[in-house]
This record gives sequence, structure tokens and C-alpha cells, in this order.
Amino acid sequence: MITLRGYKLTHIYRYHKVLSDVSLELQSGDCFALFGPNGAGKTTLIKILSTLLRPTGGSVEIMGKDSRDHRIEARRDLFLMGHGTFHYDDLTVLENMEFAMALRGLSPPYSMLRNALDRVGIGPFTLQKSRYLSTGMQKRLALAKALLAQPNLLLLDEPYVALDEKGMQMMNDCIREFLDKGASVLMSSHDRAKAAEVSTRAGILQNKGLKEVPLKELANALF
Amino acid sequence: MPFFNLIKWIVWKDILCEMRNRENIASIFFFALNLIFIFSFSFAMDRNMTEAMMPGLIWVAFGFASILGLGKSFLAETYNDCLAYLQISPAHKGTIYLGKFLGNLLIMVAVELVLIPLFIIFFNLDILNKLPSFSLILIIATIGICAVGTLFSALTVQTRAREVLFPLLLLPLEAPIFIGAVEATRGAFHGDPIALYRHWIELLVVFDLVFIIASYWLFEFILDG
Repeated sequence: MITLRGYKLTHIYRYHKVLSDVSLELQSGDCFALFGPNGAGKTTLIKILSTLLRPTGGSVEIMGKDSRDHRIEARRDLFLMGHGTFHYDDLTVLENMEFAMALRGLSPPYSMLRNALDRVGIGPFTLQKSRYLSTGMQKRLALAKALLAQPNLLLLDEPYVALDEKGMQMMNDCIREFLDKGASVLMSSHDRAKAAEVSTRAGILQNKGLKEVPLKELANALF
Repeated sequence: MPFFNLIKWIVWKDILCEMRNRENIASIFFFALNLIFIFSFSFAMDRNMTEAMMPGLIWVAFGFASILGLGKSFLAETYNDCLAYLQISPAHKGTIYLGKFLGNLLIMVAVELVLIPLFIIFFNLDILNKLPSFSLILIIATIGICAVGTLFSALTVQTRAREVLFPLLLLPLEAPIFIGAVEATRGAFHGDPIALYRHWIELLVVFDLVFIIASYWLFEFILDG
């Protein structure tokens, strides 16, 4: 099943073309790793695919639904882990989880919330305000939210940043779990080795366009 | 029901954050307190003048204090990119507006409830028997102030000149609220029968309804850009 289809996506930001006719299609179980130099437009592409940004041209379909016409349905199917943590500093870890789920119309019981937090290794910090978490722990909290949300499409913008070795391994374990359940994952990263561990496909965003590369050529690809 | 449940969660989140950091409450309260203090010095010598100007003074204090608090309402959502999470959440954006509006309303009313006794003490006001009608005016006018303030807080939060833009857009639109509130408060403080200033209260109610309904529908476009 096609979970994500980006068709001829073009984006112009202040007279500067960032993306030009970028097309991308993900099937259920695909993990697409997106690489590219700084400023290539990786975050812009992820923002467009997550419906956070309207493209200047082209269209996005999530689970077969046009994201402009069926915005709410499309958003129900996706989960974004972006550069921002999306946590409220004055709420505790548990309260942040509860609120994030409430915005998705979910109200999981405490046991489920605690399980997700334990899974990502921040169970003991459940009642701590998120402002006191380290950047890596905040990333783990975002991952716990994704685990509970169970989206069909997971968009990750540099998921390994700020994570320790164990955290990166845990991130990849969770990505595998999402893929096993039939979800698709699209991630942007600079860590080729870590991303290659879980990716089924890869592409390089450069010169405003996206070029798909075989995984085995990824290590030697120049950009 | 998901609609009310979501509103409840947003109000809960806003109030809880406010109770813990006290950013808005403190800025609204101390600004208004400062104004009351200055006004009491300026008009303490002339009792007739004080009574005539009291409705205006009260609404100047509440109006300007609300600018401080409401302006920060959506600013808090920009920390850690929380606004982006609200934008891409599957929740109806009008529901988010109603939650934020109710949160702001509760904070404003809480501050007003503390400031009113201070007005009574500082200006030696004899309005205890007029409190029911004044409370009604206070609530209706504060609803209007928060309805417009929440909308414009969201509208300006992502602009670079939001500190200038927010009051610039807000104050002209809130003019009908302040005119209605001052006139109705004057009637209430004079002890007039409510029928004499009912039209001002009706103006406030119409304004509240128009802005709450319009904001509910417009919020989808505001939050999604």
C-alpha cells in the first residue's frame, strides 16, 4: 500500500527555489533515508510532507488522501519528530505525553504511557518537568510519543542528533518495530552508517532535486 | 465527547503551565497594580472626579493589562516548536482556539477578582451593593477582550514585529468593548436600573458572539497559514 506520495514538489522561499519537482513514493514497510548537504532542503521537504508547510507547487498524498483536501485525516496518519521537541517545559514528562495524545484524540491509560516511557529509558523521570531533561532525553520523550501514536507514516528530521550510542540503537529498534507493523518511515540524517542499518531505500537531496541511490552505494556517494 | 475533551485538555495545559511559571498572571497583575497606585495618587484629592472617572480608570487598567497577558498567550507555544505540533495535530483548529480562549479568560478573571478589591480599597469606593451588575459587565467585557486577544495573539505570534503589531491591531478592534464596558459600568456605579444601560450590555454580548464564532472558523486559516 502506498503510504506517502509527493508529486512534483516545488518550493520557493523568498525568490529562492529550494525544491524543484521533487517526487517521492513510499510503500508500507519502506524506510527512506534522506541525505544531502546543509541547506539542501531536507527539513523543508519534511515540513511539506508533514503538512506543516504548503508547497509552492505539487501535491502530497498520505494514505491515498490529498493532504490539502483531507488535512485532518492526513494528519491523523502521520507523526513528525522535528528539530523542535514539541514539549512544554512546565509540564512533566507524563503530562506532556498525555497532552500530546489528547491532541490526537487518544487517551491511553497510565500503564501504556509508562510502558512507552520505560521502553525509551525515561520511565524514572515520569514526574520530572521536561525542562530538566537533557536534549537526548527530550528526544527519547518524543520517540515515546511516536510509539503511542502508532502512525502509518513517521517523519523523522535528524533522529540521531543528541542521542548516545544506546539511544541511537533504541531509535533504530523502534523504527524496525514501526516497519514491522506496516508503517513507513522517512528520515533525514547525516549519519549514513546508522541510517543504513534500518533503511530500505535512500536518496540524496541536492541541487533542488532528489536522486535515489542504491543502499550499497550510499557509503561512497559524494555530496 | 472529543470536542469538549480537547477544549478541557488545552485549558488544563494552559492553566497548569501558568500556575507553574506565573508569567502572565504576574505581568498582568503588577502592571494593573501599578496603574491603580498611580491613579489613586492622581485622583485621591477630588472625590467627585474620582467617581466620574472610575469606570474609565478600571477599564484602562484591565484593557492595558490584558495586552500584556494576551500577547504572550501564543508566544508560549513557540518555545520548543510546540506551535508546529498544534498545527499538524489532527485536532480541529477552532477547538484549539476555544481552549486557548477559555484558558486566557480564566486567567484574566482571576486577576480581575484580585484587582477589584484593590480598586475599592485604594479609591474608597462604595460599590458593594452594585457588585452583581458590575460582575455581569466585567465577565461579558472580559470575554470580548479575551476573544479578540486570543485571535490576534495567534495572528501575530509568527511575525517579527509582534510586540508592535499586537496592540496596534488589538486596540482599535477592542474599542467597542471599552466604550460599552465603560458606559455600562458608569450606569451600574450610578445605581441606575439595568434597563437604562442594557443596550451597552447587548452591544458587548453581540461583540462577544461575533468574535467567538468568527474566530472559531477563521482559526483554521490562521494556524495553517
